[in-house]
Amino acid sequence: MTDKVLVVIPAYNEALNIERVVGGVIENYPMFDYVIINDGSTDNTAEICRKHKWRIIDLPVNLGLAGAFQTGLKYAHRRGYRYAIQFDGDGQHRAEYILPMKEKMDEGYDIVIGSRFVTDKKPHSIRMFGSRLLSGAIWFTTGVMVNDPTSGMRMFSHKMIKEFADGLNYGPEPDTISYLIRHGANVAEIPVVMDERILGESYLNPLNAATYMGKMLFSILLVQSFRIRSRR
Amino acid sequence: MTFLLRCVLVCVSILLTLYLLRRIRHSKMKIEDSIFWVMFALLLVLFSLFPKLADFISGMVGTYSTANFIFTFMIFILLLKVFFQSVKISQLERRVTELIQTFALDKEEDKEKEELNYESNRE
Repeated sequence: MTDKVLVVIPAYNEALNIERVVGGVIENYPMFDYVIINDGSTDNTAEICRKHKWRIIDLPVNLGLAGAFQTGLKYAHRRGYRYAIQFDGDGQHRAEYILPMKEKMDEGYDIVIGSRFVTDKKPHSIRMFGSRLLSGAIWFTTGVMVNDPTSGMRMFSHKMIKEFADGLNYGPEPDTISYLIRHGANVAEIPVVMDERILGESYLNPLNAATYMGKMLFSILLVQSFRIRSRR
Repeated sequence: MTFLLRCVLVCVSILLTLYLLRRIRHSKMKIEDSIFWVMFALLLVLFSLFPKLADFISGMVGTYSTANFIFTFMIFILLLKVFFQSVKISQLERRVTELIQTFALDKEEDKEKEELNYESNRE
C-alpha cells in the first residue's frame, strides 16, 4: 500500500478550467498522485490533458459526478492508495488544503471534510439555509455535527475507498456521509477557504438546488434508515 | 352494458391479444418478459367474454360494483409491474455503470503497461 494521497479530479466539460486547476496541483504539489476522470466531456477537456501527458481516465459516456468519482475510487482501490480526495475540476478547491487534510486523516479518521464553516459563521442566505437543514438532518439522525455537509472536498481512508469502489448508492453526497457516520465512520472537519468558480457554468440554478436539497433531506431522514449495509 | 359496447370490448381485447403476440414474436422479447403481457391480454379477453366472472369475483371480494373491482385490480397489477420495472432499470443502470468504469480503468491500465514496455525496450 502506498502512503500517498490520490487526488481524484472529476471533470465534465471543464476545458476552460482544467489547465489551471490540474496544472496548479501537479506543479505545486508533486508529492500527491492525481488522476483526472473525464466524464464523457463533449469539449476538448481530454485533448488538453493528453497534450500535457496528464494521467487521465476516459469514460466513454457521461455517468454523472457519482459515477465519475466512483471510477476514481476504483482506481485508488486497484492501486492500493491509502487516501483519496475529491477535488473539483472547476477551480473551487485549493490544493494547499490537501496536506492539512491528510495530516488530520493520519490521526485516524475515516473521512475528513474540507469545511467552509468550522470557524466562520454561515452567512444568512437561502443557500446556507439549505446547508443548515442538511446539517440538522445529519445531526438528528447520527448525533454528529457536520458543519459543511455539501462541501465537495472530502478525503477518504482506505477502508472508505473500498466501500465506495464496490458499493451501489455511494454518491459523493451528504446522504452517503450520514449513512457512513451511522455505520461507525469517524468524520472530522478542517477549515478551508473555497473560491468561486471562475469560468464556465455551474449546474446549480435555484430550482436544481431546491430539488437537490429535497432529495438529500428525504434520503438522510428516511431512506438511509432502512438501508442494509452489505458486508463484504 | 349495451350489447354493442360488449361486442366492441370483446373485439378490442382479442385484437390487442393478437397484436401483442405478433409484436412479441417479432421483437424477439425474452419469453419470461413476455409472459406477463400474454397473461394480461388473455385476462382482458376472459373478462370481456365472460363478464359474469368479473361480477362473481367482485361479489366475492365485496367491492361496491364490478367496475370498481376491475379498476382496482388492473391498477394494482400495473403498479406492481411498474415497480418491478423500476427495480430492473436500476439494476441495468448499475451494470452499465460498472461496465463503463471497468472498461475505462482497464484501458488506462493497458496504456500504462504499453508505455512501460516502450520505455524498457528503448533502454
